[in-house]
Amino acid sequence: MLTITARRRAQLAILLGPASLFLAVFFLGPLAIMIVTSFLAPGLYGGVEWTWYPHNYGRILGFADPMFEEFDPVYIAIFLRSLKIAALTVVATLLVCYPAAFCISRLSDRWKSFCLFLITLPFFASLIVRLFVWVLLLRQTGLVNNVLLQTGIIDRPVDLIYTEGAIILGMVYVFIPFMFMPVYASVEKLDWTLVRASLDLGAGPIRTFLRIILPLTAPGIAGGAVIVFIPALGNFVVPAILGGAKVMMLGNLIEQQFLAARNWPFGSALAMMVMSVMLVLLFSYVVVSSRRGLDAAPGR
Amino acid sequence: MKIFASLARGSLVAYTALFFAFIYIPLVLIAVYSFNANPINMMTWSGFTTDWYAQVLGYKTAITGDAFYVESTDQLVQAVFNSLKIAASTTLIATVFGTSIAIALYHFDFFGRRFYRVVLFMPMLMPDIVLGIALLIFFVNSGINLGLKTIIIGQCTFLTSYVFIVVSARLSGMDRTLEHASADLGANEWTTFRKVVFPQLLPGILGGALLAFIISMDDLVITYFIAGVDVTTLPMFIFAMLRRGIKPEINAIAVMMLSFSFVIASLGLYLRSRQK
Repeated sequence: MLTITARRRAQLAILLGPASLFLAVFFLGPLAIMIVTSFLAPGLYGGVEWTWYPHNYGRILGFADPMFEEFDPVYIAIFLRSLKIAALTVVATLLVCYPAAFCISRLSDRWKSFCLFLITLPFFASLIVRLFVWVLLLRQTGLVNNVLLQTGIIDRPVDLIYTEGAIILGMVYVFIPFMFMPVYASVEKLDWTLVRASLDLGAGPIRTFLRIILPLTAPGIAGGAVIVFIPALGNFVVPAILGGAKVMMLGNLIEQQFLAARNWPFGSALAMMVMSVMLVLLFSYVVVSSRRGLDAAPGR
Repeated sequence: MKIFASLARGSLVAYTALFFAFIYIPLVLIAVYSFNANPINMMTWSGFTTDWYAQVLGYKTAITGDAFYVESTDQLVQAVFNSLKIAASTTLIATVFGTSIAIALYHFDFFGRRFYRVVLFMPMLMPDIVLGIALLIFFVNSGINLGLKTIIIGQCTFLTSYVFIVVSARLSGMDRTLEHASADLGANEWTTFRKVVFPQLLPGILGGALLAFIISMDDLVITYFIAGVDVTTLPMFIFAMLRRGIKPEINAIAVMMLSFSFVIASLGLYLRSRQK
């Protein structure tokens, strides 16, 4: 018996050992170092000094280092703006995906799988190329402005790109599959006999929607909202391309701290802010969904 | 009431048509305008040309005089080459790691299984930029020079998760009675694994590998932070071009990349649908 347990233990060690070591050193290790760095003082010429320094967070939250600077609310403003843009992205993505999910769930199997194929396909195409397309459409000499000018609706090009709206549009465009799949999964499971019963019993379409359809599809909506909100909040590529220098989000600020300002502790503190929002969201998602007895894992 | 219902259905269908138009019309438009001869204003049609494609591929054309692109064709080729090298290595490593963890978690019951699941879900939920800067701090502090090697290591950390999830899904959908039958008929563990488990698992492993390859080729954010100054990948090359200012050649590159990934992805999804 002992030999069998020993052998199984050896098998487990071979299967898990190398991968565990790799992830411990190159995934958990870096995250731990980043957390430590966010509490260290920035060095004068880049680098860090090994002293306890909570003012990286203070610069964001209101207790800046009294030796060097006054508190400037610019960082908290960027943080709030990022929250706002991410929230609006979630709402817009949901509005785009939800009705389409209903329509597609009622199609025949052949059409259904074809439509799902069409929705997942762009996910495999290069992110940067899909965003570049919107640059061509939205910029001053872009297609939208050209069409509007030629039809005489406007007589001067309007600023479409480098706005919050452009960032939200770009995010919606790239996050559609993330929202659509979980929403679709719960819409497809929807028991239509309940809807019919509600209508038969005299509830109007609006009331049926609010009391039956919406609660039953809420798990999918919540799952989609979480997996769109988190990458939207820390996003760096979309605002870099469609927001330009005019609309700055947390992601751009972090990039700036690392590659231009070389204040790594402050950049790490900013990243920790993103992480903490993410943890709060995930935690409340798990708590709410397990209280309701629903699947805890957000579906992909 | 009936008219109302069909009206509602009609508008739902129209909405869905708009939904697909929103996804695909921009892509169609850029494909069309990549053949536009207008060198200054790319979105004002002035005639058909294939010069931009020719130029990207390194052929001499009438517009070469602009000399923007000629010098960087080599850089583009180098970037593509780097991306392929990185994707090939990361796919191999991440597939081995992801598959072995998935098998271990499926076949063995041990302390800390839940912890593994949480750790492996983390990179998929974390914003890319957090992992990117964490890796940058780590590599710089431990004195490892940034370059191809660090990109490969960095990408493997999150690609392992993708492979793990795809392979785990396949494992949990597998028929365990076949394993028991094989054991009952006298096959030892290794034979059972080789002849029964592995063939069933193979589509999952290949699917995970394909996904890892595509994501590796496309990764910008994490690679951007840990690439250092000498190495450029294809997404980084395009990102840099976009930041410098847009030239018609990017359009041609974009369309070629779109077609390439659509062909690969369609092939993968088609193969997967045939297995069911």
